[in-house]
Amino acid sequence: MSQPVLQIKDLKTQFFTDDGVVQAVDGVSFDLHPGETLGIVGESGCGKSVTALSILRLVQEPGRIVNGQILFRGDDIVTMSDDEVREIRGKDIAMIFQDPLSSLNPVLTVGFQIEEAIEAHRKVPSKMALSRAVELLKQVRIPAAESRVRDYPHQFSGGMRQRAMIAMGLANAPSILIADEPTTALDVTVQAQILELLRDLNRDLKTAIILITHNMGVVASLCTRVLVMYAGRVVEQGPVERIFKDPQHPYTWSLLQSIPRLDSDRHDRLLSIEGFPPDLIRPPRGCRFNPRCQFRVDRCLHDDPALMNVGPDQDAACWVTMRRALAPNGELRG
Amino acid sequence: MFTRGALLYIGQRLVLIVFTAVAVSSIVFLGVHRLPGDALLNERRPDPAAEAALLHYYHLDLPLPEQYVRYVTGLLHGDLGESYVNRGVQIMPLLLREARVSAEVGAAAIVFTVGIGILLGVIAAVRQNTWVDYLATTTSVIGYSMPNFVIASLLFLLFGIGLYAWTGGALYYNSGWTGTYGTFDQILIPGFALGFPYASIVARLTRASMLEVIRQDYVRTARAKGLTSRVVVIRHALRNALIPVVTILGPLVIGIVTGSVVIENIFGIPGLGKEFATSILNRDYNIVIGLFTFYAIIIALANLLVDLLYTVIDPRIRY
Amino acid sequence: MATAPGITEKYLEETLAHEQTSLWGDAWRRLRRNRLALVSSVFLTLLIVVAIVAQFWTPYSYFTQGLGPIYQGPTAQHWLGLDQSGRDILSRIMLGAQISLKVGIGTQLVVIVVGVVIGLVAGFYRGFVDTIISTVINIFYGIPDLLVALTLVLLLGRSLGIIIFAIAFTQWMNMARLVRGQTLALREREFVEAARSGGAKANRIIFRHILPNALGPMIVQATIGVPMAILFEAFLSFLGLGVPPPTPSWGAMAADGFHAIRISPHIVLAPAIALSLTLMAFNFLGDGLRDALDPRQKR
Repeated sequence: MSQPVLQIKDLKTQFFTDDGVVQAVDGVSFDLHPGETLGIVGESGCGKSVTALSILRLVQEPGRIVNGQILFRGDDIVTMSDDEVREIRGKDIAMIFQDPLSSLNPVLTVGFQIEEAIEAHRKVPSKMALSRAVELLKQVRIPAAESRVRDYPHQFSGGMRQRAMIAMGLANAPSILIADEPTTALDVTVQAQILELLRDLNRDLKTAIILITHNMGVVASLCTRVLVMYAGRVVEQGPVERIFKDPQHPYTWSLLQSIPRLDSDRHDRLLSIEGFPPDLIRPPRGCRFNPRCQFRVDRCLHDDPALMNVGPDQDAACWVTMRRALAPNGELRG
Repeated sequence: MFTRGALLYIGQRLVLIVFTAVAVSSIVFLGVHRLPGDALLNERRPDPAAEAALLHYYHLDLPLPEQYVRYVTGLLHGDLGESYVNRGVQIMPLLLREARVSAEVGAAAIVFTVGIGILLGVIAAVRQNTWVDYLATTTSVIGYSMPNFVIASLLFLLFGIGLYAWTGGALYYNSGWTGTYGTFDQILIPGFALGFPYASIVARLTRASMLEVIRQDYVRTARAKGLTSRVVVIRHALRNALIPVVTILGPLVIGIVTGSVVIENIFGIPGLGKEFATSILNRDYNIVIGLFTFYAIIIALANLLVDLLYTVIDPRIRY
Repeated sequence: MATAPGITEKYLEETLAHEQTSLWGDAWRRLRRNRLALVSSVFLTLLIVVAIVAQFWTPYSYFTQGLGPIYQGPTAQHWLGLDQSGRDILSRIMLGAQISLKVGIGTQLVVIVVGVVIGLVAGFYRGFVDTIISTVINIFYGIPDLLVALTLVLLLGRSLGIIIFAIAFTQWMNMARLVRGQTLALREREFVEAARSGGAKANRIIFRHILPNALGPMIVQATIGVPMAILFEAFLSFLGLGVPPPTPSWGAMAADGFHAIRISPHIVLAPAIALSLTLMAFNFLGDGLRDALDPRQKR
């Protein structure tokens, strides 16, 4: 296998609030290979977005990266100078966000915001930047790109705004595109179009994609590998077929039980998991999922499981694992 | 730059301004003319015949409705009548000349207010909860707690005594504004005194607005693109933060108009504000009515400008 | 909003009372931590004491002229010096404090009464009445307040009462708008709904529920209104339209000394500093109260 383009090692990002220290990301590690599509899934508040923001050092006060390494082509982003990080942002690693309306500046034209992404990293004549912006808008399939380039975000539809965000992300042909819930705010049909667009871009431009979502269906339609996060930790990871067919962590299993279909209501919530993600200021002792886990055993209450190999290229952090939990003889029950 | 719709809108507003001017002058006219005609002429003539002649001269012997119709007709033709105190002085040209003088000082005050206010507000917001922020925030409370005549007297002392030798008398109180246009020295200090309290208010508002905007998603997007923090603050944050700041430009103009009454008196600037105080004290009622009409028009025009300014900085607003 | 039928008036009032106590308790704790606001309240207390003392005793008579050389700077006998008529400036400053406080507080009393009545009527009855009142409020916001006050004083006379009335005339809408907004918001809240479904009369809803809840913002508004009124009086008297001489007013004292500012700046500086410190203290206190009573919209 090729060298990973991005390696995250034991990343910890914490928020220092008046009420205490929120351990939003607590020891996350993973690799991303060139051209790979990696899905990070979990409920809201499990640390997916903070992980993504940490990669570009975009976490705002009172949040801080307190531990770990983020190696981009071997260089550690955590210890870089502000200027070095700025060079990587938007050029090597681009990011698109959940709500395309609030993520685009309302007082600047869409075209200008794309041109500015280009000019942040290359000195180009403004004519060239403009024609490149038009070209990018065409690439993300915006009709009449030549005239729409002068429109303001409020003149675009929701789907077009997200396309424009993607165009902005692609402006400098980055090697990694981080998409944070790119379809959540959109209608179902538009969701499918955006996913198709991301899939084509990954195939044609070989851009590696990190897709962050709470929606297992979205992962299935785009990703080759999945990382399941819970309470700031990775609880399971592996190839998408394995995770879907044979999940080993009870949390992954519950997520799949509650899988919303892509064509169902867009306000899909993970209703079948009872309870809420834990308080990350005072996380539960032992396995963090234990208060909500229907398969927990005594050990789960005081021993914190690490990721363990549970199948070909598949790891899970669970003392029980679904294989044993669902075994017909029920050796663990009672 | 302006579409047909916008021009139509401006046209409508201008018509509305004419109505406002007529309405305001009517209210003041009727308020003042409740007084009996001879009370309007503050010096009683010993000779009844002379007094009657004078009343006739100013049409004060006519029934009130007729006087009113005459006044409004005159107003619509740009004629505000004659001063009751200085006979023969036409009010319209007098006030126009004075308005130009006031506009010079007022413009200096507005430029100063908006410039310093926004600068301080942005610095305080970007350096939130540091000593720079506390200094700027505290200064701004002190700023709007000082009446403009106090600021003016401190400036007198500063440039008239403290720095007199050093500046060679420059920037010091220059009374006797002779030409139509004031010199740089004559405008700068009054403009500062007039604008300072409002600069504090603009600074507070800009700070609050910036803090709000800096947390917006599009600011994060701008940072994620790899833009420098200066570009992020000025191009992305400030432009949006200014939208609520524009809202207080209307009240700001009212404040400057009001403040100019005091400041023009202190600095001996022959503008509308000085005229207002003088004509009030002299009971030169015709000029008072004219001044209120002028002020109504100035404020209405300022509000129109503010509304147009909105469309310039916020493309979502269209008329 | 539907309320459970079992909720009694008593229960509601207990809940409300609890809400109130914790609100004021928290506010007090937050205010105590604000040093500027604390220093300001100490200063204002001293100022009130001075104003009361001035009623019975001042070092010298405030109107006796020729106590010494005119324009004389501060000396051991006259701590703040003498003015252009040889009057003792300290005595006049003390009495001036009285005028400023009377105007500042008197105006706010008028503003509170007028503002609360109009605001309640607009907010409580809504509809057509509210539309009219809101329009009038907006028109008043567009009027250059000082000029209107000047004209009123000119037409009506120069007594303290008329000055207070004239200033209140330019300020009532701030309070009215606030009370209207609070009323509109609070009348929708659960306990008011419940109280109404329990058959409580409008009076009772207003005095037991709406006003106690609106009290915090009203105190803040009044605290901010005081320095505005004092500033107005200073402007009026600076322009020669304040209380008639020889009653000393800080604005008039500053105006009187202006022509001689280069030779004897103390005549202007004494009232100017007294005025600025007073305004500052009220503004810091008002800011502190606002932060304390509404921590969400800090500054």
